[in-house]
Amino acid sequence: MSTHVATISPSVGSASAASSASAVGASANKALVLGLVGLALTGAGVFVSGKAAAFSYLTGLVFWVAVALGALFLIMIHHVFDAGWSTVLRRQYENWVTCLPWLGLLFAPLLISAVVAPGVIWKWTDPSYDLSQVGGHGTVAQDVLWVKKSGLLSTMTLIIASFVGFGGWTLIASRLRAHSVAQDTDGDIAHTHANRFWTAVGLPFTALSMTLCVILWVKALDYHWYSTMFGVWFFAGAVRAALSLGIILTIWLWARGDYKGILNNNHMHSIGMLMFAFTVFWAYITFSQYFLIYMANIPEETFWYSLREINSDGVFNTWGYVGMFLLFGHFFAPFLTLIHYPVKLSKTWLPRVGAFIATVVLVDMIYNVMPSLKNSAGDAYPFVSLNLLWIATSVVGVGGVCVWAYLNSFAKTKLIPIRDPRIVESLTHHE
Amino acid sequence: MAATFYGLMARFDTAPDIYHAAQQVRDAGYKNWDCITPFPVHGLDGAMGLRRSNVPKFSLLGGLTGFTTGMSMIWFTGAFDYPLIVGGKPYFSPLFAFPIAYELTILFTAFATIAGMFILNWLPQHYHPVLKSKEILRGLDDAFYVVIEARDPKFDLNRAKALLNEAGAKEISELEA
Repeated sequence: MSTHVATISPSVGSASAASSASAVGASANKALVLGLVGLALTGAGVFVSGKAAAFSYLTGLVFWVAVALGALFLIMIHHVFDAGWSTVLRRQYENWVTCLPWLGLLFAPLLISAVVAPGVIWKWTDPSYDLSQVGGHGTVAQDVLWVKKSGLLSTMTLIIASFVGFGGWTLIASRLRAHSVAQDTDGDIAHTHANRFWTAVGLPFTALSMTLCVILWVKALDYHWYSTMFGVWFFAGAVRAALSLGIILTIWLWARGDYKGILNNNHMHSIGMLMFAFTVFWAYITFSQYFLIYMANIPEETFWYSLREINSDGVFNTWGYVGMFLLFGHFFAPFLTLIHYPVKLSKTWLPRVGAFIATVVLVDMIYNVMPSLKNSAGDAYPFVSLNLLWIATSVVGVGGVCVWAYLNSFAKTKLIPIRDPRIVESLTHHE
Repeated sequence: MAATFYGLMARFDTAPDIYHAAQQVRDAGYKNWDCITPFPVHGLDGAMGLRRSNVPKFSLLGGLTGFTTGMSMIWFTGAFDYPLIVGGKPYFSPLFAFPIAYELTILFTAFATIAGMFILNWLPQHYHPVLKSKEILRGLDDAFYVVIEARDPKFDLNRAKALLNEAGAKEISELEA
């Protein structure tokens, strides 16, 4: 039982890793340079736009954290269900999650800012923050809605949660990847069992820590607001972004020739069905959040949506259009596209739909983060502004680092887990 | 009463045999024919040249009907038949009509899908000429059959027999309607 002899030749998939390792290495370096340029531009943005650039950086960073956590969740869901069909796709997700420690490092400046310049991003990191700057009155410390939540909303909690989050996710991701890669060499079934252990521990841990982190990082930007849907909303977006990234990577590798003879129509169909299912899931969560707040009509909740639709003088603002775009672009368009069987099989269309979904996940992130930056009347700054540039530089900057981490890992591993007990089942995946 | 001729029923012994036989019957251009197998044979639909099912069209129609019904029902009761302000909300908004519209979309889609499946399969069907043949018992157990119906425009008894023999049929019998 200690060794599992795979029935396919170990040479499958290794050829590309060996022959084009140098080419991949060059692409990785390009991605890193691009990433560093993006980060440098965002850094310069702080001197131009100040706070707004920091919010933009938070948006871009949280978007890539969502992608990485979505990928981590997909690996764990694969293990927890003992899935067969997705075995040939799993390795690319395992390569991708190597970006998690770097994302943690990139998050550090935000935590440092919370200590050095409290109140810049999260108002509650500075209890003496003057709320009249953002259309309120008094200071944070005099605000009963903060006082009641002060046990959670403090700089110490923010730092500890971020450390525990990134530390735990990195540990889980590295263990899952290390066991999977080690199995390529020795074919030991113990690696599969170890991954099930890490999954059983990792799923509840990641679900809880991710919820806590996004509550502190994103939801608490407007600390008056509360929504029990928020963690699940982030999870839905994260998995959608990760599935989109996965199909883009898969088709890229197929077009390069790596996946020829491995990827079949039924893999495409199954990925398409997952993308479709999570589209509906996202809509369900997002609609429920809006619907409950609309029905209950409690001021501490409704202001969050009012801010994203009208200014304090009653004028409809640009965020209202962004909200409508999310409704149609994030739900109806992918829903009506992915419902068609031929789209799910199309190697041209499915990655395009994926790219679109990933873009709208970013817009959704912008919609959740940016309006929390308010002017002295308590209104959000317009959607179309210089901030979009800083968001773009942050997305390119952090994304470049993620791609660099992925390509580095890609060059070191085989394309598919060649000695996984379920690899044959996956290669012959059928309806 | 003289029984009318329904078609030919040819036996094959293995799944690969019927798969290749189906390809030959398909390429010969027959339209009114079918395969009888004791279990689903993967890829047989492709070998038979079947297009994708039309059931999704029924589902779409059902879904649209359900969505429209849900929305109009809430509009009819809340804004037209008995306008009443509830909870400071408007008489009608697609927002609070959405849950009911969504439920009815799913319900009507399910009904239409089941109904579409029945209609397209000509179900319920209590009699079929192959049931008259004793051979069908093996078709539910260990043998595979191709049935070509006489009403097929291309049907010619001798040519159909020759085709099935060429495809490797073990035994060919004639069916009565």
